[in-house]
Amino acid sequence: MSLGTKPIYCVSRAGRFLLNKTNFVQRNAPTVSVLVQGQSFFSTTSIRSNKQAINPRPDWNRAVSEAEKIVGYPTSFLSLRWLLSDEIANIALHLRKLVGSNHPLLKTAKNLLNNGRSSMQAWGLIVLLVSKAAGHKLVDDIEIDKAAGVLHSQRALAEVTEMIRTSNLVHKGLVNIYPGMYPDTDARTMQDMTFGNKIALLSGDYLLGNSCAELANLRNSELVELMSSAVRDMAEGEFVGERDKQNNPLPSPGLTEQDWTLRSVLSAGSLLGKSCQGTLKLAGHGEELQLRGYRFGQHLALAWQACLELEPFTSSAGADGQMPFSLTSAPVIFTLQDDPSLFEEINKGKENIEDVDYSKIHAAVMSGPGIPQTKELQRHHAQKALQELEGFEENDARKALSNIIFAMGEI
Amino acid sequence: MCVRLLQNGAGGQAIIAVLTMACLGSARLCARLGHISARRKTPAAVVDPLVRAAFFKTQACSSSSSSSASATAAPLVAPSASSIAQSYTAKRALGTMHTQHPGSLPREDHAPVDPYRLLEDDLKEIYAGMRQELTINTNQKLLQTISTYYFDGQGKAFRPMLAILMARAVNCHLDVHNGKLLPSQRSVAMIAEMIHTASLVHDDVIDQADMRRGKPSAPALWDHKKVTIAGDFILSVASQMIARLRNPDVTQVLSMVLTDLVQGEFMQLGSKETENERFAHYLTKTYRKTASLTANSLKAVVMLGGADESIADVAFQYGRNVGLAFQLVDDLIDFISNTETLGKPAMNDLKAGLATAPVLFACEKYPELNPMIMRRFEEPGDPERAFELVHKSNGLEQTRFLARKYNMEATRLANSLAESPFQKALVTAADMIINRMK
Repeated sequence: MSLGTKPIYCVSRAGRFLLNKTNFVQRNAPTVSVLVQGQSFFSTTSIRSNKQAINPRPDWNRAVSEAEKIVGYPTSFLSLRWLLSDEIANIALHLRKLVGSNHPLLKTAKNLLNNGRSSMQAWGLIVLLVSKAAGHKLVDDIEIDKAAGVLHSQRALAEVTEMIRTSNLVHKGLVNIYPGMYPDTDARTMQDMTFGNKIALLSGDYLLGNSCAELANLRNSELVELMSSAVRDMAEGEFVGERDKQNNPLPSPGLTEQDWTLRSVLSAGSLLGKSCQGTLKLAGHGEELQLRGYRFGQHLALAWQACLELEPFTSSAGADGQMPFSLTSAPVIFTLQDDPSLFEEINKGKENIEDVDYSKIHAAVMSGPGIPQTKELQRHHAQKALQELEGFEENDARKALSNIIFAMGEI
Repeated sequence: MCVRLLQNGAGGQAIIAVLTMACLGSARLCARLGHISARRKTPAAVVDPLVRAAFFKTQACSSSSSSSASATAAPLVAPSASSIAQSYTAKRALGTMHTQHPGSLPREDHAPVDPYRLLEDDLKEIYAGMRQELTINTNQKLLQTISTYYFDGQGKAFRPMLAILMARAVNCHLDVHNGKLLPSQRSVAMIAEMIHTASLVHDDVIDQADMRRGKPSAPALWDHKKVTIAGDFILSVASQMIARLRNPDVTQVLSMVLTDLVQGEFMQLGSKETENERFAHYLTKTYRKTASLTANSLKAVVMLGGADESIADVAFQYGRNVGLAFQLVDDLIDFISNTETLGKPAMNDLKAGLATAPVLFACEKYPELNPMIMRRFEEPGDPERAFELVHKSNGLEQTRFLARKYNMEATRLANSLAESPFQKALVTAADMIINRMK
């Protein structure tokens, strides 16, 4: 049994090792959309919550649109098949009952529909582009989606990637209800939150259960093991480091870039890396190319993470401190390394990160070394990803992948 | 028919096994396998004739009460069945008075075989094995603690017990693997318990339960998000174990369980179906939430042992019937037990808004239950009123009757396998479920 585990485990540890050798540091936030949920829910005064966290970049949208054409539309799992499924209809029905409450599940759902392209739904696209960039070997003709140049199984895997990611987001969006959280008079909110949690938990389970079934249908045990280990990594990522009562991450003194990398690899890099590896496995490619895919996915996810974490400080919407950000995002971590006295402010959030004065932290980041260092971090991972791309043959899919990386900027 | 069976035999081993069997008693064997193949295409959960019988039986069994019914239900149980039930509730405690003789006993000997005693060695390390799997999969101490919290060895290990029993019974039936349990089969026994536990963890978050198995529930000790994610973690480890079996067919069978579980949960959320559909809805839900796991894990272990489709179906149907009986008895106990014996208060289901078999049977006689079912017993006094009506009706008796029917079907299936201590223990295991309701 343990023999079977080893290879995968090694892959994941090797990946971490590789990433641990990099020279940059920071802290991760799951994704910006999660932050929107987490913070807006508990802030009564915050204006931050009224802003969309995702800043659409014209370059980015163009790169994604072009790429989608290459692998055939649609790449999103919110396809017709999904909209017509009974369970999704059921979930939608229950979601409607939640409208009017402020359970974070509603925001997760809204973000899925509105901003999918800028964050999680692009993951499936990446997997398909990697599939097409590498081509396939020794595979039955009937398995190929000719127009798109990818295998049906690879398309299914791309869908699974998005389902796993969404499931994790939805489960992270539960509300921790604890005694004394709501005054006794507020029975209504308590009821809403309990019901919202129930639906969020079941929706996440639904996605997770279906990913397992979809994977099983691909009849490739190695792939099932690989993807299951990605689910494990994401779960583990939620336990790294200090947390407030809502499980929002908090930095602790002495945090380094390695900590940021570990957290980001667990909660994002692992899934994208293993999906890219898995899709190459499905196409019959050898170990070497599979591992290249793994490294590419991981570096891309980390570059992406750094890019998202920069937005609250560099975009036009973020420059005036109006966008939510994570206290464990790379710019904050670098700033804390430079000026540990800021922990005095951070420590106010041990119970609830909302007790931290975000404008104070924001100002410190803006004037400190965190932004350039995060840009450097993003550049490092983007370059590594581009380097891995060179191992693939030159074609339109490879071009589209590098366009996406360039569209992130800082290259 | 024997010839046809031989042609259909999956592999050489199966054919040899069938031949050996045929020498022992060809007529009986053929008769048995005959009805197995007839059953093969039975859908997983439809309203079967058993249910209709339970409705039909209303008057008859209510008057004659349990004596006649139990006589038909448990023909193989010796008078000492209650001592087995006792050892069952005492969680695998030693000291059952029946010693199991190795080797096959004559058919006429109905001495019950205590499955937990029989599988003592197989089950001894099973919780430690699961804890180890979970622990090596993460470096985070807290995640290790939460995810292993329910694997403290205090559970009954009912699902692993069934899986190992069926695996061994079929290995004997096919006369393969020297009657030994394969590591992969043992792995499935662990996987079944882990999937079950992951769903318990999530159930406890949904229901905000305070207690589980006599100790604080996981969500009572840790926050909901962490506990939910720990449930996902348990599932991911189980899923990796499934993958390591390197058997795509088995992977597909076991992944069905996961989709069934979630669909069952969703079915439990809504009860807007008409009165006619309600019982079918209830049974389908019960299959998905409970019986799918036993049915499919038992099917998986025999597939790993090399069984052909017809034997795999015997395992599946046995697991399905046992699972359905198990849940019916659970639903019944919710109405008849008091807090001391169960460790949790009765009427849990009603308070949670759920209409289970006793209520559904009762509303035949008391239609005023219908609006209560529709509003999920939400109004003050609803649960108490429903409880009272159920006890006034034949609902409990009919539920018992239906559970016994499933038990008998499971027994019949178990008896279609070649005789061995394990095959006999399969019969006892089915009876232990029924004995809980006495």
